[in-house]
Amino acid sequence: MAKQESGFKVIIVLVLIAFLSAVLLAYVNKVTREPIEENKKAETKKAIGIVLRGLTGYQYPEIPQEMEVDRSPVKYFMAVDSNKNILGCAVIVKAPNGFTNDFDMMVGVDSSGSVIDTYVLDHKETPGLGDGMSKEPFKKQFRGKNINNTKWLVKKDKGDIDAMTAATITSRAFTAGVKRALMTYNRLREDGK
Amino acid sequence: MKIGEKFKKAFFTENPVTGLLLGLCPTLAVTSTAENGIGMGLATTFVLVGSNVVVSILKNVIPSRVRIPAFIVIIATFVTIVDMGLQATMFELHKTLGLFIPLIVVNCIILGRAEAFASKNTVWDSFVDGISMGLGFTFTLFILGSIREILGSGAILGYNFLPETSPTILVFVLAPGAFITLGFMLVGMNKINKVLQGSKS
Repeated sequence: MAKQESGFKVIIVLVLIAFLSAVLLAYVNKVTREPIEENKKAETKKAIGIVLRGLTGYQYPEIPQEMEVDRSPVKYFMAVDSNKNILGCAVIVKAPNGFTNDFDMMVGVDSSGSVIDTYVLDHKETPGLGDGMSKEPFKKQFRGKNINNTKWLVKKDKGDIDAMTAATITSRAFTAGVKRALMTYNRLREDGK
Repeated sequence: MKIGEKFKKAFFTENPVTGLLLGLCPTLAVTSTAENGIGMGLATTFVLVGSNVVVSILKNVIPSRVRIPAFIVIIATFVTIVDMGLQATMFELHKTLGLFIPLIVVNCIILGRAEAFASKNTVWDSFVDGISMGLGFTFTLFILGSIREILGSGAILGYNFLPETSPTILVFVLAPGAFITLGFMLVGMNKINKVLQGSKS
C-alpha cells in the first residue's frame, strides 16, 4: 500500500464499497422480506392457537383491530363463530414496567370474560428468573380468573397472584398486563362490539 | 501454514476468547444455554469468513488511510445479511439472539482478524483463518454455554435431565455465572496450552 494516496482515490474507493454494500443489502432484503413476514404471522397464529385453546370453530380477522386502554396501545383479534357470535378474544397488550422494559404478551379471554391462557410474545426479562412467566407453574394460576373475582396484584401488594421467586417486578408487570387485557375485553363488550 | 496447525492454534493457543481475550461481550452475554452459544458462534463465523475474504480481495484497493471505515462497512454488511437471513430461516433462534446479532459489528475478533491477518495475506489463507478462528470461537461459546446450562438449569441443549423440582444453581444462568465460568475456563485453557507447548519443545 502506498504511503499517501490522493484524496480523490480515497473518496472513490469508500463510495464504491458503500454502494456495493447497499446493492447487496437491498437484494438480501428483497429476498428475505416475505419469509420474515410469514414467520411473524405464523408466530401470531401459534400464539392465538394457544391462548384461545379449547374454543372450537372460531374465526378471527387477519389484521388485528386497535384501541387504547390505560393510555397504552392494545391490539386484539375478536374470535367469532360463523354467525358472528363472540366466542372470545385474543388481546395483545404491553405489560408495563417489566424488569428491563415493557414486554408484549397475548391473553386469551373467553366470552364470559375469564382468562383462557397467556403467551409472552417478546421480552427481555432475566433468563432463569423473569422468563419463568412463560412456564406452567406461574401461568396456570391465571386461567379462569376474571376481572371481578380476583385482586389483580401480587400477594406482596395484598393481591391474589403468587409472584415468582426473585422476580416480583416481572410478576407485577405480567399481572398488570393480564388485567389490562381483561379491561380491554370488558370495554369492548360494553361498547357492544 | 498447514491447515491442521492453523486449527490447533485457533482452538487452543490463539483461541479468540481464551487465548486472545477478544469478543468477550457476546461471549458473556449470550451463553446462558449451549444452543445460544452455537448460534452466536456460527453467526460470527459466517461474518468472519465473509469479511476476511472480501478484505483480502480488496487489500490492494483500499487506501490505508481509510482502511478501518472500509472494513467496518464490509463487516456491517455481512452482519446485516446474517440478521435478515436468520430472521427468515431460524426465527426462534433470532428471537433469543436478537439484540446481540447487530452487535457482531463491534466484535473485536472480526475487525482484529481483518486488520491483523486478512489485509496482509492471500484470499485462501484468509478464508482458512476465518473458518478456523470462527469455529474456535464457536467451540469456546459452546463449552461455556454447556457448563452454564448444565449447572444453571439442569439441562443440555434444551433437554432436561433433572426432574422439574430438583434445585439448580441459578447464578450460572445470570451474568455473574458467565464471569465465574469464563474465569475457570481461562485457568483450564492456560493449563492445556502449557502442556501443548511443553510437548513441542
